[in-house]
Amino acid sequence: MLNKVNSMRFRTKLNAGMSLIIISLSVMLAVVVTNIAANSLIHETKRRGQVLADNIALRTTSSMLSGDLLQMKEMVDELRTVDSDVAYAFLINSSGQILAHTFTNGFPVDLKHANMITKEAAPSIKLIDTGSDKFYDFAAPVTAGGLVIGQARLGLSRSQVQVVVNGLILTISLVTAITLIISLAISTQFAHRITYRLGMLGQYAESIVRGELNLNQTSGLNRNCWEVYNCEQRECPAYGNTDRRCWQLGDTLCTNYCSNKSARDLNNCEECPVFAKNSGDEIHELAETFDVMSLSLRGHIAELEEAKNDLTKQQEILRTIFESSPDQLSLIDKNGTYVSVNQAFASFVDKSKEEIIGKREYEVSSLLNTADTLKETKQILRTGKPVNREVRIVLEDGSRKWFNILKVPVHDEHKKSIGVLGTARDITNVKDYQNQLIHSQKLESIGKLAGGVAHEINTPLGIILGYAQLLQEDFPDDGQVHKDLVVVEKQAKFCRKIVADLLDFSHQTKSQKKEMCFNNSIMEVVQLVRHAFKLENVEIIPNLDDRLPIIYGNPEQLKQVWMNLMSNAIEAIGHNGVINIRTELDINEGIISVWFTDSGTGIATNDIDSIFDPFFSTKPVGKGTGLGLSVSFGIIQDHGGTISATSPAPKQLLEDGATRTENWGPGTSFKVVLPLDEMGYE
Amino acid sequence: MPVVKVDFSKRESVKVPVPEPAITYAYLPQYSHEVSYARHNQLIQYIAKETGMPMRQVFPDTFAEHIRMVERGEIDISFSNPVVYVQLARLGSSAFARIKEPDGRPAFRGQIIVHAQNKAINTLDDVIGKRWIAVDPYSAGGYVYALGYFLDHNIHADDFREIAFAPGPGGKQEKAALAVYAGKYDVASVREGALDTVKDKINLDQIRVLAVTPEYPGWVYSARKGMDKEVVSKIAQAMFKLSMDNSDDAAILRKARTCGIIPASDSDYDTVRTLIHKIDVDDKTSILPALPPKPAQRVKNAE
Repeated sequence: MLNKVNSMRFRTKLNAGMSLIIISLSVMLAVVVTNIAANSLIHETKRRGQVLADNIALRTTSSMLSGDLLQMKEMVDELRTVDSDVAYAFLINSSGQILAHTFTNGFPVDLKHANMITKEAAPSIKLIDTGSDKFYDFAAPVTAGGLVIGQARLGLSRSQVQVVVNGLILTISLVTAITLIISLAISTQFAHRITYRLGMLGQYAESIVRGELNLNQTSGLNRNCWEVYNCEQRECPAYGNTDRRCWQLGDTLCTNYCSNKSARDLNNCEECPVFAKNSGDEIHELAETFDVMSLSLRGHIAELEEAKNDLTKQQEILRTIFESSPDQLSLIDKNGTYVSVNQAFASFVDKSKEEIIGKREYEVSSLLNTADTLKETKQILRTGKPVNREVRIVLEDGSRKWFNILKVPVHDEHKKSIGVLGTARDITNVKDYQNQLIHSQKLESIGKLAGGVAHEINTPLGIILGYAQLLQEDFPDDGQVHKDLVVVEKQAKFCRKIVADLLDFSHQTKSQKKEMCFNNSIMEVVQLVRHAFKLENVEIIPNLDDRLPIIYGNPEQLKQVWMNLMSNAIEAIGHNGVINIRTELDINEGIISVWFTDSGTGIATNDIDSIFDPFFSTKPVGKGTGLGLSVSFGIIQDHGGTISATSPAPKQLLEDGATRTENWGPGTSFKVVLPLDEMGYE
Repeated sequence: MPVVKVDFSKRESVKVPVPEPAITYAYLPQYSHEVSYARHNQLIQYIAKETGMPMRQVFPDTFAEHIRMVERGEIDISFSNPVVYVQLARLGSSAFARIKEPDGRPAFRGQIIVHAQNKAINTLDDVIGKRWIAVDPYSAGGYVYALGYFLDHNIHADDFREIAFAPGPGGKQEKAALAVYAGKYDVASVREGALDTVKDKINLDQIRVLAVTPEYPGWVYSARKGMDKEVVSKIAQAMFKLSMDNSDDAAILRKARTCGIIPASDSDYDTVRTLIHKIDVDDKTSILPALPPKPAQRVKNAE
């Protein structure tokens, strides 16, 4: 039942409620009023009867004393003519004799004693039941000089009274019914009006839900505040604002009733004529609140849209950063599940992002994940301490990669770890540079050591060589001693060569730099060796930049470099091959590059990193000092340039103008880059 | 409310009640029947008890009817004023007792009163041309004594613009006083002591007593013509026995507005006869039996 009532429409409820109240009240009022009226009528009838009885008793005193029967008869008869309700009337003297009565067919025998006055001479009322009708019988004493000389009796028909009462009931019922109908009509109209307005508010609310915030539930103001007060403060936010009521604005300039500008104070406003002229009932206020809400919502939504756009933009930027980062980024929640990963991560593990997200860390196989990864993540979550480590892995193709893995805990607002942000950065290059740096430092140390040693050795070595040559003169050329001395001289010279190279490597020899023609430097060496190389059927193909680049350098040292490179080339070729020399000037960069490319056997991959190391040599013992490329590296470095080797040699460099020969190897290409002026290496 | 069942079908015809034979006693209807009854009922009960004879009070409506009832023998004992007694004596009645006024005198006077604010009447002569309301044409103190007084001062009935009489029955003294008080009449004549009866109704300061008539004998008990002397004697003796010294008697006497009843004879009222004669002989005055109905009607209307 209660559910049924609850599910009823508000209008039905309101109608039903008001109808119930009105009907209940009407019925209650009708019953009560009828009762009261009927009782009053009966009471009034009794009072009237008593008054009539008292009156006749008073009026008949004189007649009764004088025994004027005719007058008494007239009096009782007169009663019936003046009041139709009077059914009968009669007078009795103190002896109980009937003096006058209104009955036409004899006097009812029992009536006289039905309502006799007591000795106290008090009036008496009794209900006489004749069988066919009922009468209120009133007895009033007739007194003279304080003595009872008789009594007047009067009968009022109860049925007559009842007819009046019935008429009264009918009238009240009719009035009640009409009132009921009018009240119901008014209440229905009232309910309709309220529910219509509530319905409008409901529709308005639905419109707001649908996002239609431009509707205005309340009409414009009856009188605007600036009109009421003849206000000229155009800078006031309420001035000219017909959308919002001035009492909805907290920062008006009005000083009449709005002295408290910090907040709307409707208590103040209630006395303001603007408010009085424009405010309505509670529904009107609700509608206005809706309007204000709508207006605020519009503002908030606009702000939200703006914030959303900003957020989207920020998100886009973050996503772009996240996605375009070459580092592998991943976010793992506290359960070890991937929440987000970037494309670099997905590509590394060779899965789509969708396949990864939602999986546990151990479910995604990655070369970077180890058996301890899960433990590590748990530890980070537990301790809140980040982990930073470097890992070397070997890819399927055999290449090695170094990764820097940084895992940091992600905290919530309560500083509690809720996940781990993992970053894996490929630091192979860094690692290489690091190795090179270490290597360079090593070389520098060796150079210094070797330079120091060579400097110390150079003098005794010179003495050894001098004495060996002098001693040769003291012994016959074919003698064993002479032969041994030749060997000593040769080995001493070899040692001197090593010492000279070591000194060059350690830059301990003075180098004089000057402006020089780069191409000429190369061509001088080429001219020097061309003939000898020709004997080995090795062709030198110079492709020199014809812009005659001038550089600032040490011609002798550079020629030594070129000589070293070409010596290495012929050694790599052996017989039949080409050495392609190419120079290229880059004025924009201010550099000159030269490539010495041979068609020789090339350099093994494992060796290519070590070829510039001192004493590294692939030649048989005694064939080379292992210092040629080291010295060349030192000279080029001294000139502010770089030297590098590539093997196999790039095809376009090797075959540029060359004809393939028998033992055409993979070849090696050395590239030397030098700055054009001294600024480059200062 | 108690319900009493009454069978209305059981009916009987009502016979006219016939009073028991008794000596009838009537008080000249100077006041209403109720007042008459109240004043004299106890006295009658006393006399009946004292004499052992049944007595019954009867109530004539007017002075004239009182006189006629005495004449017809319907009133045995009449208590009337001296003027009426003079009329009754002509019809054969004889006085046997008279009362003493409450102040103890066996005589009383009439008073001529005007409204205290009536500046037009300052002396007796000023009443000429004015409206006069008297109690009744048969009233002694309320009319006849005043009329005799006016004649003694050479003011005749036709000197008044109007002579009216208070409407009856009963309360006529009060009505006359009230008519002056209300300004409807300029002059009123009432018996001495009548103003006391209206002191609760009007402010007596507003009433000025213009003149007081000479004293005449008071009210008188008379027996009708042919009444048994012995019976009259018994009644008279019973009356004379009443004394203010006895509390029961005093109560009866006070009710009857007297302080005692004393013997009387017809000759006691010769002064009244003289007065009436004086009035009669005044050519311009005729009071009996001419009753001016119109002024009385006017008074009634005025009320």
